Order: sequence, then structure tokens, then C-alpha cells
Amino acid sequence: MSDLRLAVNAAAPATGEALTNKLVARKLGFRYGDTQALRDVSIDIPERRVTALIGPSGCGKSTLLRVFNRIYAIYPKQVADGEVLLDGENILGPKYPLSRLRSKIGMVFQKPVPFPMSIYENVAYAIRHHEKLTRTQMDERVEEALQQAALWTEVKDKLKRSALGLSGGQQQRLCIARAIALHPEVLLLDEPTSALDPIATGKIEQLVADLKARYTIVIVTHNMQQAARCSDFTAFMYLGELIEHGITEKMFTNPGKQQTEDYITGRFG
Amino acid sequence: MTEHLLKKYDDDLQRLTGEILRMGDLAATQMAAAIEVLEQRDSAAARLVIAEDRAIDSLEHDVGHDVVRLLALRQPMARDLREILASLRIASDIERIGDYAANAAKRSIALNESPAIAPVPGLAALARVAGEMLREVLIAYRDRDAERALAVRARDAELDAMYTSLFRELLTYMAEDPRSISSSIHVLFIAKNLERVGDHATNIAENIWFIVHGEQPGEEREKRDFTTRPNALAVTQTEKPSRGPAGSASMPPMAQMMPV
Repeated sequence: MSDLRLAVNAAAPATGEALTNKLVARKLGFRYGDTQALRDVSIDIPERRVTALIGPSGCGKSTLLRVFNRIYAIYPKQVADGEVLLDGENILGPKYPLSRLRSKIGMVFQKPVPFPMSIYENVAYAIRHHEKLTRTQMDERVEEALQQAALWTEVKDKLKRSALGLSGGQQQRLCIARAIALHPEVLLLDEPTSALDPIATGKIEQLVADLKARYTIVIVTHNMQQAARCSDFTAFMYLGELIEHGITEKMFTNPGKQQTEDYITGRFG
Repeated sequence: MTEHLLKKYDDDLQRLTGEILRMGDLAATQMAAAIEVLEQRDSAAARLVIAEDRAIDSLEHDVGHDVVRLLALRQPMARDLREILASLRIASDIERIGDYAANAAKRSIALNESPAIAPVPGLAALARVAGEMLREVLIAYRDRDAERALAVRARDAELDAMYTSLFRELLTYMAEDPRSISSSIHVLFIAKNLERVGDHATNIAENIWFIVHGEQPGEEREKRDFTTRPNALAVTQTEKPSRGPAGSASMPPMAQMMPV
């Protein structure tokens, strides 16, 4: 693990800024029913960087993402052990309030799921749930979120229209706006572009590059070129275990483990 | 290494390796042929060697085309990416070696215009080591054998030392008999080019190491080409011309001295 820390700091920009770990998993295990979906996963997620999780279907990458915001807590028979520390606090502990966790960690899913209401309300809805704001304050927050999600110029004249009328790519950016409207610290993106065309995908990838100045981003993707394009660190998972984690450039040019090499070069049998 | 899920990808990579090996084989043959026509003073055969260079150039073109295609269509990663990148560099090194062979053949035609000079046999020894390095590095490439490649790289110092020695011999020869200057300069250029073949074989060796290990080989290699040192010319100043007038009447015409 110390090797990665060194590597992580070596990858920090030349400003001399040392990277801190925003999210840290220690000996994390997860099972539902008889299935062990994660085994002894320890990983550091550096602050204000993009970490990509890659691996074949069923490797546990989406599960890991879901454990990070405790979505599993709504299902019985799903059990996590080990620790996930957010700024040093174990978010898996029963004392960590779920609503606090949700305001700190936002999540965006594979398929855009806008609420069947106006564009404005889609963003305002989540904010209202957490905060009481005046009309003007709310307008500002909605605009800010839509600006950050690079959607504002496209929707500013039709905020009252139904979100369901937006294109797939716009809907996905709306979901990102909805997630960042709560001022989270971590953004979890679960295959956010797999349902989008290449142009909409390009816009989301640029958005990820812009957003990392403010947020710690973890992105699950099946598209290796996407991981290579938009992440700073890449973690390769297989059968519920973390096989290798390192600087993206190294992972895609000269990975340390044969399993990683086989997977990223398309040799996985 | 296990096969790609997409079989065609393996075929494409194998094809690329095949093209490089064919190029290398041609270049090695061309080099040997160039030295042979030089020794035999056979201008007609030399012209055949010059014409054959086109086959190497054409293969290099094929490699370039295949590399672009692989990059665009397969989005290679990790070792595949290194293989493809290295093949482009290796092809360019081999193409240069082919040029040197053709150039030696061209110079041999010019040499045949004048009487044979004594240091020519020294070229054969240089060509033998350069040729061995090339053959050896091609085997290392075929087997992706990084250690074997590194051994080729280590041999470059031997070639450098031989070149330095021939360089001094030629300087002495020219100082002794200015009528030999034109021929000696051609021989010197050929020798320098053979020394460069060693450098290209070394580049290829380093690329093989890069394919296998993902980095450049560590330690600096030894260099024994001392001809660019300030005192390189001192040899001739101590060995004064002993025979033949150094007057302008014995100087060869300028045209014959022009590099080919």
C-alpha cells in the first residue's frame, strides 16, 4: 500500500500539493446471501482525483461503488465487513447517519433516471430534502448545479419543461447536476455513459475532467479507453478482489500484474 | 502469452512481426552483399544491391501502414501498444541499415574507378561484427528475448573500437599517400556507416527490452568510438608522410572526392 502512496504523490501536480486520501477501504468484504461479492479489498481513493474501477462483469466494481454510499443498507441479507473511511470516519459504522452520508457522497447511475417533473424541480427536489432555502437562494443553487454540469446554456430557457423531454446525454448531465446540487464531496459514477452516444459521452468525460477540481470522483466503466482517457488512477478488480491499483498511465502502458495485462489487452479467456 | 479474444488481432500482430523479420533478413543480406561486391570490385553486382534497397523501403512502408491500422482499429494497450510502437521504431532502424548497405555498394562503384587500397580488408572485419549484431538482434526480436538483446547492445563497444582503429589506419594511409585520399574517404564513409549499423542494432536491442519490460534498459552502454576526440588527428601528425610527393599534381580531381 505504501508503494501506491508514493506513486500517488509522485502523480500530484508540480505545485507540490500532496494528495490526501478522501475515501479509504480497509479489508472490505461484502456478501449477499451466500455470494461473497467483495473479498478483502483495501484501496485509497485520493481527493480531487478521478479513480476508475475496471474489471469484467461480476468482478465487484459496481458493488464496491454501492458500498461506498451504503445503498445496500436498504436490502436485508446484505452484509459489509471491514471499514470504509470517509475523511477518517467509518461510514459503515451504525453511528454514521445515512442522510449525512448521502449529502457527502453523490451517485449517478448507468441509465439516466430523471424524475417525471420539470428540469428545475429535478435539481431543486433533492436540495429541498436537505435544506430550507428562499426562492432566490434556490434559483441560484439550481443554476449553479446546472452550470457545473455543463447543461445550463442548453436548458436555461426551458427550466419549467419536463425533464423527460431532454436527450439521453442531457438527462445524464441533469442527473449529475442533481447529484452535485447537494454540494457532495465525492461523486460516484456507475457506467455513466454506457447508454449514451459518442458525442454525449465526450461531454460527460469533459465534465468529469472539470468536476475533479471540486470533487473526488470514482467512476465504474466497462470502456477501458474511457478509463484511460479520464482517470488519474485505475483499479482493476476480478472475482471480488482488487488485483492492481495504480496510476492510470502506468496501468495502461506497463501494468504490474499479468491478470491486469491480459484484461486490458483483450486476452481474458 | 495467451491469445486475444479477437483472433484477427493476433494475426495482425504476427503479420507485423513477420514484416519486421523479413525487413531485417533483407537488410542483413544486403549488407553482406555490399561488402562482397566491394571486395570483388564488381560494379554490375553493386548496381543490383543498390536496386534491391527498394524492397526494404517498401516493407517499411507496409509496417507504417499496419501500425496506423492497428492503432486506429484495435486501440492497443500495455504490451500490445509497446509491441506496435517498437515495431515502428525498429522498422526505421532497419531501413537505415538498408540505406547504408546501398550506400556502400554505390561507393564501391566509385572505388572501382581507382586502384585498390590496402585498408579495404579492415572493412570486412567491421562488416562481419556489424552483421553478427544485426542477425543476433533479429533473433532476440523473434524470440522477444530481452537478455539476448542486451548482449547485442554490449557488443557495440567492440564495433566502436574496430572503427576507431580503422579510422586511424586510414588517416595514416592518406597522410602517407595523398593519391589515396579519394578512395580512403569512401572507405572511411563505409566504415562509419558500418559503425552506425551497430548503433541501429543497439536501438533495436533497446526496443526489444522496452517491449518486454516496459522501460528503457538501465545502465549506460560503453562507447569506444574515440574518433571525435580532439586528439584523434594527433596520430597522423606523429607519423609524417614517408613517401610520394604531396604536391598538387598528385591530388585526385575534386569530383572523385565528392561523397556519394
